[in-house]
Amino acid sequence: MPTRVETLDNGLKVILRPIPDTKALSTWVVYRIGSRNEVPGMTGSTHWVEHMLFKGGGKLGKGDIDKMISRLGGKMNAFTDTDYTMYFETIPAGAMDTALMIESERMRNAAFDPKEVEAERTVVISEREGAENQPDFAVEEELWGLAFHVHPYHWTAIGYKQDLATLDRDPLYRHYLRFYAPNNASLVLVGGFDPAVAMQHIREAFGPLKPETPPDPLRLSEPEQHGERRSDLERPGPADLLSAGWHIPAASHDDIPALVLLTTVLGGWRGTVPFAAGDWQPRSNRLYRALVDTRLATDVGVRQEMKLDPALLIASVTLARGASLDRVEAVLDREVEKLQRAPPPKAELARARQQVRAWARYEQDGVTFQGILLSAGEGLGSWEFGEALLAKVEKVRAEQVRAVARAYLVDAHRTVVRFHAQEVPA
Amino acid sequence: MNLPDRTVLENGAVLVSHALPSNPFIAFRGSVPAGVAAEGSDVGVAEFTSRLLLSGTRRRSAAKLADRLEGIGATLEFHNGEELLSFQGRCTRETAAETVRILVECLSGPSFPPKEIERVRGELLNDVRIEADDTRARAFRELARLVFPKDHPYGRDPKGGEAPIRRIRRADIVSFHEAHVGPEGLILAATGDVDRAVLDDAIAAPLSRLRGDEGGPPAIPPPPPHRPGSAWLPMPHKTQVDIAIGAPGVPRRHADYYPLNLANLLFGRIGLYGRLGRNLRDEQGLAYYAFSGLDARTAGGMWSISAGVNPANLGKAIESIRAEMDRLRTEPFTLEEITDGKDNQMGSLIVSLERNAEVASELHRMEYYGLGMDFLERYPEIIAGLTGERVRDVARKYFLPSASSMVVAGPVGRTRFRL
Repeated sequence: MPTRVETLDNGLKVILRPIPDTKALSTWVVYRIGSRNEVPGMTGSTHWVEHMLFKGGGKLGKGDIDKMISRLGGKMNAFTDTDYTMYFETIPAGAMDTALMIESERMRNAAFDPKEVEAERTVVISEREGAENQPDFAVEEELWGLAFHVHPYHWTAIGYKQDLATLDRDPLYRHYLRFYAPNNASLVLVGGFDPAVAMQHIREAFGPLKPETPPDPLRLSEPEQHGERRSDLERPGPADLLSAGWHIPAASHDDIPALVLLTTVLGGWRGTVPFAAGDWQPRSNRLYRALVDTRLATDVGVRQEMKLDPALLIASVTLARGASLDRVEAVLDREVEKLQRAPPPKAELARARQQVRAWARYEQDGVTFQGILLSAGEGLGSWEFGEALLAKVEKVRAEQVRAVARAYLVDAHRTVVRFHAQEVPA
Repeated sequence: MNLPDRTVLENGAVLVSHALPSNPFIAFRGSVPAGVAAEGSDVGVAEFTSRLLLSGTRRRSAAKLADRLEGIGATLEFHNGEELLSFQGRCTRETAAETVRILVECLSGPSFPPKEIERVRGELLNDVRIEADDTRARAFRELARLVFPKDHPYGRDPKGGEAPIRRIRRADIVSFHEAHVGPEGLILAATGDVDRAVLDDAIAAPLSRLRGDEGGPPAIPPPPPHRPGSAWLPMPHKTQVDIAIGAPGVPRRHADYYPLNLANLLFGRIGLYGRLGRNLRDEQGLAYYAFSGLDARTAGGMWSISAGVNPANLGKAIESIRAEMDRLRTEPFTLEEITDGKDNQMGSLIVSLERNAEVASELHRMEYYGLGMDFLERYPEIIAGLTGERVRDVARKYFLPSASSMVVAGPVGRTRFRL
């Protein structure tokens, strides 16, 4: 799709994708700051900063963002990832200036009123406590904590409760000032607008903002894992869970396209945009056949975490009542071994490729989803990430799928978390 | 905007569509009247049936169905609800004909293999346990039971519960399917990359070959009177408590629906959750989420409040919710609030219909509730016609603490708070 890219003098990269017959407009700003930029004792600060950026500052009073977008019938939200933080508004196209004004104020002028920071402390703790109610959150946190000893992927974006309880306003504000600057961000517009007019308005809104000294590149890298790591959690819960994570390279690595097809063959493909697939469950993959069809499990999924730094490929299983974790793990091992032994047959690889191809279309559903795709791509290095990945997936050969299975799905690089569901107390 | 296209096929099925050429695929959503309301005393059979429609047909196994659908990159799902067995999917114009043919095959000729029935039984039993361990799901399940008593379809767990799940036999599923799944009452809404040729050749043609029941949609009785109650569900192993509060609302076609919808928007939805969110989240920091909802169906509905809080803040949270409900009487919605809400509803017409999937859902709703294909054109007039007084009146009438039920699930301790 026609996309125009420009960079302002202050370093803000602007990505414009006009869609002439659309009446809506989605405005996204992605900052290259995530929980990977945090340090121990300050975990969760990036996410907390994200919450504070809905509370006004500069031209915006408290509640103004909410009110302005609501009056337009718009939707807005923000997401904090390990690698980036994104904000968006989807509004009627005629109200472009409202979104640009909100985002330009948010970029440098957030208030961080101490009273508001304090009020938000319990909100972010509440968000974490809601997640703690779910057994799979405990498994996820344990998995990343165990797989990464040095790199900040050790903790999840929500942060540790003890840090959320003690973090002060000033370090949060410094964190904001350090990373929220035009030269550490990209602005994405998708929808019904004229690119030339949009550029003029963008220059007016963002041009005066001063750049910051670029943040230092992250120097931490995770040393190679030598030997499998395991954890057995015993907690009250409704079902046993198994999660296995293998170290894989960063999103920019040449092996990523083959890993996409490996993921699809093993566990199906649900696109790269979170939420796009909804409740849809792929069923033609090997783990579904080996675990769900055989009644050992009721749910299975494989996801490839595509991140700036080497991350994980994770297989997650919800066990059926009466199935044993040992047996399910043995089946998982068997399926991985099969992938290492032989390349996927032609028909299976064609099916996997078709799924990836189809989701690349389905993920373009409307201006908001296109905005998230372009922004998440920017967060990983380039708005073209998704398209480039698809082009590379088209060229992957079956033998390459076997090669990445052999290179990455090895026990010595694996972390396994088993959740042994204990009887729920009466 | 052109009006959506509506076609009634010879077999009674209704096809509605709207082209959105900038979205490069087709999304569809549809239903047959074979939800919980159709199952009568065969509790749980509708859920079983919906989960088995991708489990094999007379022509091919579950594995072959999955291989084919995913081989062409299409998606297809079936879900059970209180009134409907619904389906939805995605495909491209090139794969639309085959996708709809598979949909028709699944609807008309499922084979219900015994092995698959046992697989689904295990899946359902697990899901019942998982839901029972989820504070919010459990609180809302119990709230629905209180608001819609006496085993009304709206108050029943669509999964039926452990005992019915263990009891259901293949014959029950087969006879439910034969009696309720067919073209009668079927609606299919398609949007995106559609035009006349795709509609006629790829969608209407295979859909018109569907044969089956002639019973028509089941009559859904009005819900029995609600007697407000409360329930405390201790789940000491959890960190957060979920509060669910609710009472009967109105059917979708009721005269109070639009003012109530606006009142609900202002009370607990607009922006960061309206008045409720402003109080509980923004001002007091008690909860990450505190919002209201409005569910309006054919024969009735429910409005509800949902909040997740730390157990130490439970009393304060309930008291604050109560205060906000009372404030609807002492400090009714201001003119500014009502204007903001109306502006929001007008503007959201554009924003809420920017995705294929959203448009397909809206088209389906328009057809199912008989709102007319010109509904989206009339909507601004409907909203403009709402007076402040009417909105305030329905808020006072429906959001009434003394007429509401409350359920609390989580680590609740011994102290019991009243709404």
